[in-house]
Amino acid sequence: MCCLCAVLFLAYVQAVLALWPLPRSLKTGFTTLKLAPDFGIHVNIAYAPADLEDAVTRTKAFLRTDRLGRLVVGRGVSDSEAIQRAKSLGSIELSLAHGASVRSVTEEARLPIGTRSEEYALHVPADGSAATLAANSTLGLLRGLTTFEQLWYEWQGEIYTTAAPVLIADSPAYPFRGFMLDTSRNFFPVADIKRTLDAMSWVKMSQFHWHVVDSQSFPLEVPGFAELAAKGAYSSSTVYSASDVQEIVAYAGARGIDVMVEIDTPGHTAIIANSHPEHVACAEASPWTTFANEPPAGQLRLASPFTTNFTAGLLATVARMFPSAVMSTGGDELNTDCYAQDPETQADLQASGRTLEEALDVFTRATHAAIRAEGKTPAVWEEMVLQHNVTLGNDTIVMVWISSANAAAVAAKNFRVVHGPSDYFYLDCGAGEWIGDDVANSWCDPFKTWQKSYTFDPLANISASHAHLVLGGEQLLWTEQSGPENLDSIVWPRAASSAEVFWSGPGGNLTAALPRLHDVAFRMRQRGVNAIPLQPLWCALRPGKCDLDS
Amino acid sequence: MKLLALAVLFAVVYSPAEALWPQPRHIQSGSSTLRLAPGFEIAVVGHGVPGDLLAAVGRAKKQLFADNLQRLVVGRGAEDKAAFDGAKFLQRLTLTLEKDAKYTSLTSEAQKALGERDEAYSLVLPADGSGATITANSTLGLFRGLTTFSQLWYEYENTVYTVDAPVTIQDAPAYPYRGLMLDTARNFFPVSDLKRTLDAMSLVKINQFHWHIVDSQSFPLEIPGFTDLAQKGAYSPSQVYSLDDVREIVSYAGARGIDVMVEIDTPGHTAVIAEAHPDYIACSQASPWATYANGQYILGDAAEPPAGQLRFADSTVTSYIADLFTAVTKMFPSTLFSTGGDELNLKCYDIDEPTQATLNASGSTLEQALDVFTQKTHKALEDQGKTPVVWEEMVLDHNVTLSKDTPVLVWISSANVKAVVEKGFKVIHSASDYFYLDCGGGGWVGDYPAGNSWCDPFKTWQRSYSFDPNANLTAEESQLILGGQNLLWAEQSGPENLDSIVWPRAAASAELFWTGPGGNISTALPRLHDVSYRLRQRGVKSISLQPEYCALRNGACDLTA
Repeated sequence: MCCLCAVLFLAYVQAVLALWPLPRSLKTGFTTLKLAPDFGIHVNIAYAPADLEDAVTRTKAFLRTDRLGRLVVGRGVSDSEAIQRAKSLGSIELSLAHGASVRSVTEEARLPIGTRSEEYALHVPADGSAATLAANSTLGLLRGLTTFEQLWYEWQGEIYTTAAPVLIADSPAYPFRGFMLDTSRNFFPVADIKRTLDAMSWVKMSQFHWHVVDSQSFPLEVPGFAELAAKGAYSSSTVYSASDVQEIVAYAGARGIDVMVEIDTPGHTAIIANSHPEHVACAEASPWTTFANEPPAGQLRLASPFTTNFTAGLLATVARMFPSAVMSTGGDELNTDCYAQDPETQADLQASGRTLEEALDVFTRATHAAIRAEGKTPAVWEEMVLQHNVTLGNDTIVMVWISSANAAAVAAKNFRVVHGPSDYFYLDCGAGEWIGDDVANSWCDPFKTWQKSYTFDPLANISASHAHLVLGGEQLLWTEQSGPENLDSIVWPRAASSAEVFWSGPGGNLTAALPRLHDVAFRMRQRGVNAIPLQPLWCALRPGKCDLDS
Repeated sequence: MKLLALAVLFAVVYSPAEALWPQPRHIQSGSSTLRLAPGFEIAVVGHGVPGDLLAAVGRAKKQLFADNLQRLVVGRGAEDKAAFDGAKFLQRLTLTLEKDAKYTSLTSEAQKALGERDEAYSLVLPADGSGATITANSTLGLFRGLTTFSQLWYEYENTVYTVDAPVTIQDAPAYPYRGLMLDTARNFFPVSDLKRTLDAMSLVKINQFHWHIVDSQSFPLEIPGFTDLAQKGAYSPSQVYSLDDVREIVSYAGARGIDVMVEIDTPGHTAVIAEAHPDYIACSQASPWATYANGQYILGDAAEPPAGQLRFADSTVTSYIADLFTAVTKMFPSTLFSTGGDELNLKCYDIDEPTQATLNASGSTLEQALDVFTQKTHKALEDQGKTPVVWEEMVLDHNVTLSKDTPVLVWISSANVKAVVEKGFKVIHSASDYFYLDCGGGGWVGDYPAGNSWCDPFKTWQRSYSFDPNANLTAEESQLILGGQNLLWAEQSGPENLDSIVWPRAAASAELFWTGPGGNISTALPRLHDVSYRLRQRGVKSISLQPEYCALRNGACDLTA
């Protein structure tokens, strides 16, 4: 608890410190320390995994290439005397705790949610003696390296910190700290996804939720189901091949990020009609407003045993492409009018004597069994729990999106919760309606500012006995109005908001967070991510001066 | 005229592939396919063809084969292959000035006074492969025609073709001022960003770059004789527009048919001048800024930081600004020069002892002093042949003497236009409720968690597009409307999101003020998709308006589809 007091004190008097997410236990000083020209990062682990060595190489490069000037008037000119006199830090020593097993960062990152070890301890002495970073896992060491990188600024060729000594003991409040990207409404090349994974790792996100396909396009090449992309991708060049997926999954893993793929079913599947019209009800039916929440209409014929088998086979195959322990089967926004007017579905229901809801239960059990057979835990959108009466495994992860108010109801049913509520975390809101012939605001207006996301309370209305069910949360980008053109600018630095909420825990102070978030944005830009300005540079260089009451 | 109008409707209905933006005022087009010959040439007839027109022709020729834009239909042109494989080749486009017209540079035509620019042109593209022609009274008109011509073409498997031949166009803008404003003071934009923006502007025939170059936060302009302002007021030495930079930007704009109207906002929005001249600034960085700064950010009374405004009652300050303006006029060939005049905070002067002493000594009121300041600084501009331009407050909130020629930028609300024209002033539409590109991104002031942007919501392209420039105006008053513009204030923008926040939205006002109001948003959408996709092919990060599924299926994502 004493430790906490120090945190508060320092956050107040010391705006120079710009760690994000804020470590859970932190003590810093006021001594300037610079990196020795031959600064080394030593991995004191026998048979250190290659992806840890790669992470060390990246950190060493960032320390030299970030060239981030401190966000103060003069950008470091007032530090120059202290830098001249400063002691040099020669190395940082990385070690694992005694008895810790040595696994790759990638393996650690892909462990089931709740079993990953991300904690680390970092000590940077003020006297120039070696810094130390210790953890129980290589993943923890990666998190610590990420923190270490954020301590340093550049002025006239010197890399320095003004906050030594630094003593950190850190671990995340929640295991699921994610970002969701929809690559179906508009396509994003692999390079954009990799750049996004980089940025995610810099704020210690652990989960990439890849909403890879939807009704508009099917950009995923699935072995044995190649016709889906062949006929459903926007073009032959806008497809994620099996090797693209491997590359993305490996790139993520090496950065401490697990990839949860989503094949949204039985809704959001109109595009499957391009190769399998037999599986899709009300394909491109008009008016789409009757049959879907957005065009085009079309959903899997969930009552058909033939379609159920097809979907189970597809999901099982996709499961084999993704090493994560979780996979999302979607389940949002099912339109029942579509099935009411679909003769095939009605015939299937009559033949089986089931209601639509009973058929949905059969469909869900079959598809979930298929991915469980591949070792996956299913994740679903909230409707599967709150609006339908389907049998779900107790360990199913439920993603709340419609409203933050629904999280408590999900937890009350004893399901694990991932927060993704549109009223706090949807990055696409606020840019106007995208439907043609309609002058309106976006359905989830207004724009969700970083401040709004940052003030989210993961445990609001959730009873203490259910609190353990909250796994964390994510910010989400649905891409009806996004593409590679605005990916960075619509995501960053806003998505860093939830990264801190779910690492450091809720209740952070917005005023104290703003200068640190400026730092995140500026450092991202130095690394080639187009994070946008939150304020005029005048404000960014003068913490507090542009506050409402300043 | 009536027949022509019918033809227009016919063409619009039956030729959905056509994707010109802004829509020409008179167009007839067919449905024949025609392809560009591999040796396609653009010839300019006559002697003394200016270098900037030849350069524009060179760029157009290159773009025709470099755009590589595929048609926005399912298959992206695969279904056109049969038609273009047997299509006639177009060998040549010829540009000709009308009889009696003489060649002058495109740049000089673009920099003429508003109302004296001739942007009209005629374009004929026969279906039989015989030469296409553009004729105009000026090189600026020829350039506009060339821009239209470049939008007719698509690419598929290395064939560049159109599906709309024959095409006959007679075109001229509805309004002389079609602009885009960029603020380079809240955050800085490198020269390359401005040039890219000018390129995009010229694609949609925007003819005025309104450069809000300095403000209270930074002074990124190097001015001969006043270099201390940028030295002490720029964010850093690398975030300054040098004399060479300005020359480069102005000439780059001119060669693209764009005039550059610079704005040195006075007497408010000048806090940064205190860095070099603390004596000239009242309530410099005074706290709380919400009382003393310029703006109506919060609760209608407040502001944006930092506080600080020119001591305009002081004759030394007035002379200084008049000299500063004179020096800046020499850097910008435009006949227009904005002196700003928005968001003056009077409380700032109430507590400023030097201002109060000056007023007491002269026996004048603050408003009278403002009148003197405005007359003297405007006279400095007029002596250099410039027409001053002001924000609406100078007409509606203050009692200052202004020439009736002064164009007035209406920004607070479109509802204020009527009051401005009733006073006999000309108007440039810049209303925050229709044209502000920065709205809707949330409040940027710190420690203000519930803050949405003051001008919420986000202004969609549809919103800008549906603006009526003549709302509530009599026919006579409508004559005073010069045009309008979208605007980007850069508190939450920088090079990172310049393209994505501006494009394709800023094309909405470009069409509104070229083609005239009343356009249909359903038929505009596919054309605007086309603008956006073509901009991307040219390296401008124009954003998606819809899923690509919708962009390839005209109408399929309409509310009623």
